[in-house]
Amino acid sequence: MSASAGAAIKRRQSVLTDKARKRIEIAILSLPALIMFLGFVILPVFMAGYYGFFKWKGYGKPTVNGQFIGFENYKIILTDPNFQEALGHTLFVVVASLVIQGPLAILFALLLNQKFKGRALIRTLIFVPYVVSEVIVGTGWSLILQTTGALNAILKKMGLAGADWISDPKIAIWTLMFIISWKYIGFAVILMIAGMQSIPEDLYEAARVDGAGFWRQQWSITLPLLGPTIRIWAFMSIIGSLQLFDLVYIIWGQYVSSTAGTSTMATYMVREGRLANNYGYGSAVAVVIFIISLVIALTYQKFVLNRDLEGALTDEKDAKRRAKRAAKEAAKRAKANGGSVAVANEVISQ
Amino acid sequence: MKFKSVAAAVLAMATCVSMAACGSSGSTNADGKVEITMWHNSTTGDGKAYWEAAAKAFEKENPNVEIKIEAIQNEDMDGKLQTALQDPNSAPDIFMARGGQKLRDVVEAGQAMDLTDKVSDTVKTQLKTAEATGTIDGKIYSVQQSVLPGGIWYSKDLFEKAGITETPKTWDEFKTVVQKLKDAGITPIAVGGKDAWPAAHWWYWFALRECSSDTFEKAQADKDFSDSCWTRTGDDVQSLLDLDAFNDGFLTTPAQQGASSSAGLLANHMAAMELMGGWEPGVIKDLTPDKQEMADLGYFAFPTMDTGKGDPTAIMGGSDGMAVGAWAPEEAVDFLNFVSEKEWQEKYATAFSTIPANKEAQDAVTNDALKQVLSVYNEASSVSMWLDTVFGQNIGNALNEGVVNMMAGKGTADDIVKGVESAAAKG
Repeated sequence: MSASAGAAIKRRQSVLTDKARKRIEIAILSLPALIMFLGFVILPVFMAGYYGFFKWKGYGKPTVNGQFIGFENYKIILTDPNFQEALGHTLFVVVASLVIQGPLAILFALLLNQKFKGRALIRTLIFVPYVVSEVIVGTGWSLILQTTGALNAILKKMGLAGADWISDPKIAIWTLMFIISWKYIGFAVILMIAGMQSIPEDLYEAARVDGAGFWRQQWSITLPLLGPTIRIWAFMSIIGSLQLFDLVYIIWGQYVSSTAGTSTMATYMVREGRLANNYGYGSAVAVVIFIISLVIALTYQKFVLNRDLEGALTDEKDAKRRAKRAAKEAAKRAKANGGSVAVANEVISQ
Repeated sequence: MKFKSVAAAVLAMATCVSMAACGSSGSTNADGKVEITMWHNSTTGDGKAYWEAAAKAFEKENPNVEIKIEAIQNEDMDGKLQTALQDPNSAPDIFMARGGQKLRDVVEAGQAMDLTDKVSDTVKTQLKTAEATGTIDGKIYSVQQSVLPGGIWYSKDLFEKAGITETPKTWDEFKTVVQKLKDAGITPIAVGGKDAWPAAHWWYWFALRECSSDTFEKAQADKDFSDSCWTRTGDDVQSLLDLDAFNDGFLTTPAQQGASSSAGLLANHMAAMELMGGWEPGVIKDLTPDKQEMADLGYFAFPTMDTGKGDPTAIMGGSDGMAVGAWAPEEAVDFLNFVSEKEWQEKYATAFSTIPANKEAQDAVTNDALKQVLSVYNEASSVSMWLDTVFGQNIGNALNEGVVNMMAGKGTADDIVKGVESAAAKG
């Protein structure tokens, strides 16, 4: 008796040390990544918040070489017409990206989801711009679209008048939208194709039996069932647009993006912070961008994305109702059977 | 296994720490030599080779010193320097300084060494004229290496093609020249609007001609632009725009990169003139089809304006210098003295195709256009610094952008001044 009890204790101890060992392992293995994350992501966020309260040139320490000014930087940012303009451009890019790329990507995906010769090649081609680095895309397009560039030369040969595609403030933002759409649509298309392929084929068969045509099928089956994919893509597109910096910076350079009407919040931050040498003010701009992005992201997650947590095949209310009903039934059954709650839980989780 | 993961973690930590600690300078290295780090902005060609050769020569004379030369791309220089200067361990001992507000910021943060008593007397006498740029509140903080007076650079061939026999001296003559070039189907003026400052230089020069030297200095010191001459400056820019003399799409034309830049347009005879500083021959050299000096490159001073109150012989220009970090060893100053004397300044002039700051080395200038610059420079009643250098990056950028906005038809002369005032509030 005592011997077996001893063995049991021993076993339990070894189980405990196993657990402890696992914890230690996890801690040690994730420590480097954790240190990196805290040091290079979390800490800078708080540092920016701190610097944002100073009028500081970036030389020496803000408390010594700078001047504490409270929320003055934020007041200036919110009243600066250049910032308002940049914010406007950013929001324009957010909306225009959704409106232009969304429908186009779905149409492309529908096309590329059909079986035809050369499909793999076209799929690759449409995805290539997304893989190419922003620097190359920016440099390439700015060479093509310059006043003396290739596009205008071709137009001239065709007897058409070209335009100052990137220098004319009236056109520039549309040129930017064109390049963004060209570059990022491949990503959207691939996502949509993946989404379409997860839709069960028998739904279409059933619809065909019921006499639904091709467009009717897409409208009533593909589009609703593609919902989660579209919502996730839209989320990524919004976040990407809010951070837009590299393309603008490469094509319009450090100084003229606001003149050309293509400045974004991020180019404003770099221009006013790093280039103008106002590190205090620049940090405050970073905080404002952070807050704007955070609010938009959280709002989107709360009101749009959370329905996807309920499962891909149902919409939110439906899912809740069904889950509730199932839970009730299971509970009834459990009561009748005197079984455990586990059954109910299982059903709900299904 | 446990030991291994601990070891891996320790190794990772050690890497982090050593990464942060590496790049120390201003101390003795493993061989017991004094190590000096120096940052300059010539990443290619003769300029890069010049600094390496100078370092070698100095090491030969001073065997106990080892100089680490690091070439930093010009557009990256300010940002990298700013970060590096925060920590004496990673900061260079000698670094490029362009003077003006920028140097003042470094000095006020206690990061630059007071060189007043350390610059050798020989260098002091030979540098006399360029000294002012590196001097702040009466103390020398940087030793100038080159003087870069501005003016209008032009293609002699294209002028000839348009039937222009003499370079313009007054604004009216200048306008005639522009018209003649246009009639001959030649783009009269190249300007690199993408970098903002090349466009803004037109405004600076108009201001120099329109405003009396008192008003000009007052604006530099107090950012006071209330005098009516500043409005006239804006009007001059407008009259320049009315000439429709710039290259197409100038807003997104860079200043120096590639054949389609404004300097490239001049180098390849696609435009006849460009308003630029004294570095132009060196820049153009890299952009001509055969990478040789542009044979027909000419220079004339900015035209005089009879409406203005400014001195007609006043000119504007920059001057590149070298500052020493407050933490640097004495040998860093010795090296700076070494390169600032006649011998190496002459080599500097040849390597960079520019005018050396050392007066006695200026005989080494052989380029015809540069000789022209030198004669204008030596006759000038005064030499002002570029306004964006004077004001520093914050206000300087706002000024440059205001001018570019106006040129793109997006603002008025008043908006330029307004932009400057709102920038002042930010920093």
